[in-house]
Amino acid sequence: MKRAVPVLLLTVAGLVPVWRYQPSAGTADAARPASTPSAVPSSPSSASSPSSLRVVPGTAVDTVKGVFQVEVTFRGDRIAAVRMLQAPHHPQTRWAVPELVTETLKAQSAHIDSVSGATITSQGYKESLQAAIDAKAS
Amino acid sequence: MRRVEHVMGFPVSLRIDDEGEVRDEGAEGDGGGFRAAADAVFAWLHEADARFSPFLPQSEVSRYGRGEVAYGALSADLAEVLGLCEEYRAATGGAFDVRLPGREFDPCAVVKGWSVQRAAGLLAAAGARRFCLNAGGDVVAAGGPWRVGIRHPERADQVCAVLTVTDAAVATSGRYERGDHILDGRTGRPVTGLLSLTVLAPTLTEADATATAAFALGAEGPAWAAARPGCEVFAVDAGRSVIRTPGLPLA
Repeated sequence: MKRAVPVLLLTVAGLVPVWRYQPSAGTADAARPASTPSAVPSSPSSASSPSSLRVVPGTAVDTVKGVFQVEVTFRGDRIAAVRMLQAPHHPQTRWAVPELVTETLKAQSAHIDSVSGATITSQGYKESLQAAIDAKAS
Repeated sequence: MRRVEHVMGFPVSLRIDDEGEVRDEGAEGDGGGFRAAADAVFAWLHEADARFSPFLPQSEVSRYGRGEVAYGALSADLAEVLGLCEEYRAATGGAFDVRLPGREFDPCAVVKGWSVQRAAGLLAAAGARRFCLNAGGDVVAAGGPWRVGIRHPERADQVCAVLTVTDAAVATSGRYERGDHILDGRTGRPVTGLLSLTVLAPTLTEADATATAAFALGAEGPAWAAARPGCEVFAVDAGRSVIRTPGLPLA
């Protein structure tokens, strides 16, 4: 598996020109969610629209460990996510590099039991949401 | 049962909700019998502070940082912490680094999650099944569902998401409480690509180290953390967009 990763990354890199010159990307069946924790490299940016998402399936690569195929999501010229379409079932390949969801930041005041945030200081605690939760309960 | 104490310079809020598992006569209602376990939690956190604080000159971390303790003579606990530091340094290509030029050796980012996770282990070992331990914004939850809010990076009194957490940990790294204190070890400069990054993981050891390391990576951080096994990610970038994993258990 470790040896397959460079091969896959080359495949990913090879997809950049594929996308540029064949913008009509086909669809691919998501065979298995099994995957590898490969890095998500970014390609040099260009003048194309930075917000458009484009999903491009890679070619299946036959390796000694089995057949691998990735799918790359581009945002403009940058790789936004890599997803494994095909990978041999193997303990090291069972997690996916998920396609990340982008949303608008919202603010809400919901009922909560606890708050996760950047480490607050003891001085800052008095003013914090967690202090309000602790005070309300006692 | 609830208790708040200040350890390591931050507040630690403990809530134990177990019913019918009272080990001794507790007068505080549900979970009151876990007073001894709660005592053990805070005693351990004070001990961890004394041993691993880089701000105390006689702590093992300070003595190791000054070269007064050989690696082979380290306590098993500090050796474990250093192993975690090295794991995350290697996994981030050096962006997360507890040894930066011109700075004290500072493994705080790993010590916090690791020590609080061990504190949660003390509660579980004492028989507590439903509890929520919040250490300065890092949360270990057991026996949920618990509703854990993610603090809005720009509005201290509001949250930007609520997670449903059963048996897992949530940690957040950000700049809004302590300023630009997280440096990219590759450049030595403060990280500015993100406002905050939250990780949900099976343990706080993983959640806290992953959140800090991903924050140090900047814009690449959310995708990096998302690829770590067992981790779900919620990040707010400098443009105030949310980037999250599809599997995040939003309430």
